[in-house]
Amino acid sequence: MDPIHPDQRGLLLELSERADETQRADETQRADERHSRQIRFAPFGAEGQARLAKAHALVVGIGALGSHVAQTLARAGIGRLTLVDRDVVDLSNLQRQVLFESADAHAGLPKASTAACAIARIDPGVEVVALDTEFDAALWHRLDRVPDLLIDGTDNFASRFAINAVSIATGVPWIHGAAVGAEGRAMVIRPGIDACLRCILPDAPTDGGGCDALGVLAPAVAHVAAFQATEALKLLGGRDAAVTRGLFVIDVWQGRFDLLFREAPPRADCEACGSRAPLAARTPATTHQANTASSYRSASLCGRNAIQVRPTSPRTLDLAAVAVTARAAGHLVDDLGGRALRVRVGELRVTLFPDGRALVFGTEQADRAIAVHGTLVGDHPD
Amino acid sequence: MSVYLDHAATSFPKPPDVTAAVLRWYADYGVSPDRGDSDLTAVVRAVFERTRARVASLCGVPATRVAWTSGATESLHLFLLAVLKPGHRVLATACAHSSVARPLVTAREALGIELEVLPVDRDGRLDPADVVHALHRSPRDLLVLNHASNVTGVVQDVEPCLRAARDFGVTSLLDASQTMGTSDVAHLPADAIAASAHKALLGPPGLGFLATVAGLDLTPPKPGGSGSSHALDRHPLEWPTAFEAGTPNSPAVFGLDAALAWRAAHPRRLDPSPGRIALGELAQRLVDTRPSRRVLAADSLLRDRPDQLPILSFTDADWDPAELGILLDQAGFQVRSGFHCAPWIHRFLGTPTGTLRISPGPFVPAERILAIADALP
Repeated sequence: MDPIHPDQRGLLLELSERADETQRADETQRADERHSRQIRFAPFGAEGQARLAKAHALVVGIGALGSHVAQTLARAGIGRLTLVDRDVVDLSNLQRQVLFESADAHAGLPKASTAACAIARIDPGVEVVALDTEFDAALWHRLDRVPDLLIDGTDNFASRFAINAVSIATGVPWIHGAAVGAEGRAMVIRPGIDACLRCILPDAPTDGGGCDALGVLAPAVAHVAAFQATEALKLLGGRDAAVTRGLFVIDVWQGRFDLLFREAPPRADCEACGSRAPLAARTPATTHQANTASSYRSASLCGRNAIQVRPTSPRTLDLAAVAVTARAAGHLVDDLGGRALRVRVGELRVTLFPDGRALVFGTEQADRAIAVHGTLVGDHPD
Repeated sequence: MSVYLDHAATSFPKPPDVTAAVLRWYADYGVSPDRGDSDLTAVVRAVFERTRARVASLCGVPATRVAWTSGATESLHLFLLAVLKPGHRVLATACAHSSVARPLVTAREALGIELEVLPVDRDGRLDPADVVHALHRSPRDLLVLNHASNVTGVVQDVEPCLRAARDFGVTSLLDASQTMGTSDVAHLPADAIAASAHKALLGPPGLGFLATVAGLDLTPPKPGGSGSSHALDRHPLEWPTAFEAGTPNSPAVFGLDAALAWRAAHPRRLDPSPGRIALGELAQRLVDTRPSRRVLAADSLLRDRPDQLPILSFTDADWDPAELGILLDQAGFQVRSGFHCAPWIHRFLGTPTGTLRISPGPFVPAERILAIADALP
């Protein structure tokens, strides 16, 4: 091939830019064609579509509900999906988990990345991030882009309360969903607007046997997922006024459909989002993450599987108050005579000091340590 | 203002002469010793050679056999990289610092060297008979000894070990990071000695040295960098130039020169005994007040043994060392908690979570040291 003469380079560049433009216009047209029937639905319309194309939803758990909702949102033309699941595809999943096929189950492939491949075949224009891992506060801090919405595709209340806590702390809304047997429930939860999951369920119900024990009908899942996906389209399309407020409850076998806790606001005495909650839990919206990053620094303790967290500016911590909230949250607390406070949070051991410093034993992950520290200490002032 | 008790990591404060000398280089000289023919260059060269000669006498080697490095870590690496060959059999001790342990473990993987690590007792003390026996048991190519543990402050009885190595024809390397400036290193029959300027010598950081006996044949691992014989495309093999490729840290050499002069003029201010006695008293108070505490090498501290550096390491069964470190920091004491960069020793000391280390420099008053007992839970 002949080398390009320097004088021709400008022209070539211009030509290739023009070609790019044409291609982009084609793609936009094709995308409009792809979603044309949805756009023609007037309450959603072109504006809802444009907003959806820029939106980002994070789906926690890519099982029955998660795969249904992820598929619907991908087909609807969402901009970005983050899929989180640490599980692998099993043969017994295929009856209701719509993004997986026999070969996936035989190979035992990870759910999140397998679902991401399936979505890429449905619409390669959707940006999908697959995280084959567990959802927790630490994962939240590793996300490169904060989602606009969280979708509950989990199968247990511990995970749901974790999503609830992240939602309250960050202000990002979430849509609860659950299905077992022929029954299901779903609910939109926008912090500060709607009752949170703790408001309507102050005590975590015992997970009295999930789908493994009680079985589940795929149509029950489809009903719940349809409710979740519909509400997601409203929220992400900027159609907030249309959001269904209340707990959607169904029994597809008995033919019962109901909406409980209609228009329920947050409860003032809720331990998660009310005035009894630690301040951090109530810090609104997007500032929380930034504050966490700027107000605290962390350092790994060489060879100790431990992290030291320290405030960037001096502060005084009311250890007694922290002890009260930590005990209320069900943590084991050991008060060391005002000098320090030891709190056990799951497998982590946290020692808090009056000057705001903390040692988090049991992790090498700084973001996890900072997140756990944040849930105990509450406020993260600048 | 908090009390600085981390002298084993780096000395602070430095004598004012040291700071002044560093500034003087920046203000009045600014040149390297081997670059150019100006009078300034000549003065800088003279300071380099004077300091080199003083360091040589501290190490008991000829001045031509002292090479400047960036610190003890680089000295140890230079030596190990130059000496170790595939299949070498190396004897080391559990009190090795990570700047020895890590290159040895790396060489075991990369070169297939055989590495034997000799144990120490629960105070971190090495039995010289173990070394002599190990040298006797099977042939070795290299013995690496740590002169004093930076964890417990125990100065090892290395002389019989080094002598045995020499008798067996085994090359020996002594890590004198903790003892250079506190103990007599010059009389020890080591083939090579590595140390830094910034610890007990009271010099600036960023400078160290590798000293060897005459006749030890080493291939410099850094085969390039200006300094001398500029027209050659191979770095000269003569000591010390062979190991000094690159622009030297002249301000730090000025600082070390001043530190050595200050030390010679103020021998009584460097006496380690008052600090050791205060630490002995502190050790007694610590164990008297809480039975959950264990002071390492307590006996050496209590009896003011000269083979004990002013370092007190302890544990408390009820507290993690990291927790104690923060509590003492809040009370105004700068101490250290954890493993102190010594990866092997803790399994022998029985300190799986490390220790809390108190290492006062020679200028800390005894009452400040004793006040730690009241600040601890």
